[in-house]
Amino acid sequence: MTWLPYLSYISVLVLVVGIFAKVIKYLRMPIHLRWELYPIPHEKKDGSYFEEVDWWKKPRKKHYLNQIIFMAQEILFIRALYHHNRKMWYASFPFHFGLYLVIGWLALLVGGALLKIFWVASGLAETLLAVAVVVGVTGMILGIIGCVGLLIIRATSSDLHGYTAPVDYFNILFIFAVLGSGIIAWVSADPRFSIVQEYIRRLITFSAATTTSKTIAWHIALFSLFLIYLPFTHMTHFFMKYFMWDKVRFEDEPNFRGSDMEGKIAKALTYTQNWSAPHIQTGKKWSETASKGVE
Amino acid sequence: MKKNKLTLKDMSTASGQLVELKQEEFMKLPNPYDTPEAQPPLKSLSDEVREKFECDLDGFMAIKIIRPKSREEEERLVNKFLDGLRKLLSKENNWTFFMPLMLSLEYCAKCQTCSDACPIYVSSGKNEVYRPTFRSEALRSIVDKYIRKKGSLYLKMTGNEIELNWKMVARLAELAYRCTLCRRCAQTCPIGVDNGLITHELRKLFSQELGIAPEEIHAKGSVQHLQKGSSTGMIKQAFADTLEFLEDDIEEKIGRRITMPIDKKGAEILLIHNAGEYLSWPENPSAFAIIFDAAGVDYTLSSEIVGYDAVNYGLWYDDFQLARVALKHAQIAKDLGVKKIVVGECGHAHKAISVIADRILIGDLNIPRESCIPILEDIVVNEKIKLDPRKNNFPVTLHDPCNMVRLMGIVEPQRRILRKIAPRFREMEPHGVENYCCGGGSGFAIMPSLNFPDWRSGVSARMKFKQILDAFQDVIDPSIKKMVCAPCSNCKGAIRDLLAYYNAWEKTGIAYTGLVEFIVNAMVDVKEPYIEWPEF
Ligand code: SF4
Ligand code: SF4
Repeated sequence: MTWLPYLSYISVLVLVVGIFAKVIKYLRMPIHLRWELYPIPHEKKDGSYFEEVDWWKKPRKKHYLNQIIFMAQEILFIRALYHHNRKMWYASFPFHFGLYLVIGWLALLVGGALLKIFWVASGLAETLLAVAVVVGVTGMILGIIGCVGLLIIRATSSDLHGYTAPVDYFNILFIFAVLGSGIIAWVSADPRFSIVQEYIRRLITFSAATTTSKTIAWHIALFSLFLIYLPFTHMTHFFMKYFMWDKVRFEDEPNFRGSDMEGKIAKALTYTQNWSAPHIQTGKKWSETASKGVE
Repeated sequence: MKKNKLTLKDMSTASGQLVELKQEEFMKLPNPYDTPEAQPPLKSLSDEVREKFECDLDGFMAIKIIRPKSREEEERLVNKFLDGLRKLLSKENNWTFFMPLMLSLEYCAKCQTCSDACPIYVSSGKNEVYRPTFRSEALRSIVDKYIRKKGSLYLKMTGNEIELNWKMVARLAELAYRCTLCRRCAQTCPIGVDNGLITHELRKLFSQELGIAPEEIHAKGSVQHLQKGSSTGMIKQAFADTLEFLEDDIEEKIGRRITMPIDKKGAEILLIHNAGEYLSWPENPSAFAIIFDAAGVDYTLSSEIVGYDAVNYGLWYDDFQLARVALKHAQIAKDLGVKKIVVGECGHAHKAISVIADRILIGDLNIPRESCIPILEDIVVNEKIKLDPRKNNFPVTLHDPCNMVRLMGIVEPQRRILRKIAPRFREMEPHGVENYCCGGGSGFAIMPSLNFPDWRSGVSARMKFKQILDAFQDVIDPSIKKMVCAPCSNCKGAIRDLLAYYNAWEKTGIAYTGLVEFIVNAMVDVKEPYIEWPEF
């Protein structure tokens, strides 16, 4: 299975470049008009600075910690789903939490491998590996339970069935296969995940990484293919949430005269627009069209 | 008409009217509207209208689109729709909402959590066509197939294999006006996707590219506002006459003449009301005049064209119309040399000038703007005028205008006012940022043509009516007079029509008014009751 490490390298490369490209794409977008939605956790409970007379004269109080706590609950426990769609939460929570644990498992394996590379056979590396077994297996089992739950809900709920496309089933089955193959590899070939970790160590050190176990190879191959696939799907919402929440929903930064923001707005106002309805003077700069009035 | 469960494909394939609303399937209303006989029937469109205009969505009509005469005309309109869609997805043409739109188009997980948050979907008895994701999915499918030109395997896998034709475009145009842009759905989305925003962008596409928008919002709305001075059609001279009339009226009511300052250079505040108040609820701007006079607030009104009407209908359908009105408001404030603009009781005007136009007004046009509510709170809570809450001794509930509350975060000040001056104040459930729209949001309150008002009162405002009735169940007997406080002109308009539609004053004794009316009603110096109840 000499091709396996190449697949792994490609998967990491595609994943990193894919995520980077998405983030850059959104970072390079122009400033947009405000479109916040309350409650905003960094503001006071439910309300905003608009509740105060002469709000612009007062120091801006942002409760960053509240926002971090809110986001942590949202990401770790899928808070919105818990409150507004409990039935789905019973499947979605184990699914997502399981995946987070699997990411943690991977981090522990990589961490342990690095320790072995730089700190030869330390006891700490062994401890990390032991923790990785608990975290990884729990994550995979939870993820599998979540996949099954999501499949059942999507296939049977009259609300969801009509809006679930083949690709949605495919995505869940793909993750199911990745996690399922992980469990099989653990049970049948690698109870301490030491073989997988050795594979990772060899990948990091660019020494011939391989495994003789077919089940482990299957798991690594599926995992790698999934990492290649991931950046091209809407499943990247796990990190794009940053833009959705921080840059849109919670973005209530006021525009003050002479601020950096004002500069960005001035730039956007110079864009040429070519909308063609009769009340819009097509081909003019945005600011000219706005200040011209209806002709 | 579709008999089985509606799918996106039906938007372009089904012939005739896509869905038929059945009142017996609507969400049940509480006592005394819990019987089928208590539901006023929904009017149908005449055959003449059906023949002339596109009304093949649900049998109601918000926009009057004349049916194309030929296949060529249909094709031309479909192509124009696609041109507009390309512009919507380009940062130069749509920098205003480019990032939020792209995010909402790309990341929906189709979990349908948002559906049950939507008052229109729930009130209609969960009619599929009103599901928040229905129009969003239609747009996504068109984008994938016709703009991003995805291959057939991709389209099959993503379920986005729809045909774009004129039927679909015409139905989408109407469907863009079956959502009040209340964004309650977005609040519940675990990802952060905003179906209200997608509706908003769809409306923009129709307006900015095809020139299609309800005439009450565009031709008779923002265009008239910019050209004549007000969306009500009120010209400058009529405004001056109206103020004189209000001053006479105030004198008659409180026994003291108050001058309403106009175009006072260097005043601290430029106060702008929704001009609809002057015509439909003159007691509201009069109450502001009485309160501000008693509290010694240094303010002025403007008699400049656009300056005496705070509305900004562009907020609902057209970024250029929005910017034009906002720039005019700011220019007037600048010319008057005021320190800040304060918006009267009008929710969408609040949001338009404070939040949305915040990133349009730059340089010396970036004049501070604030809501009237905190100033009123300061006057009431800090007892800058003498008030006697016993004068408001009747049950009161508060409606939260979406634009002011969920979309701007002004939640508590209006409550602190009512708690201070209305001893029998009770909340609706849910309230605050989780409130339900009055049903007249995003322009619906000012769209009275054909059978649209029936749809509004029967469907989009149904949840609000339920909330109001629930809030007053313990005092529902019509002999007990009670009041809904709605600090927003458009919400008041929707609630006025809603109460009339259900004959609610006679059946339940429920009336409505704004917030300042309660304050003046409680003023010790105002001897006669200021709040006027409807006649039986
Ligand atoms: S908009 Fe949000 S809540 Fe609604 S279906 Fe999409 S992801 Fe789910
Ligand atoms: S914005 Fe409001 S009316 Fe529109 S889909 Fe969402 S919840 Fe429904």
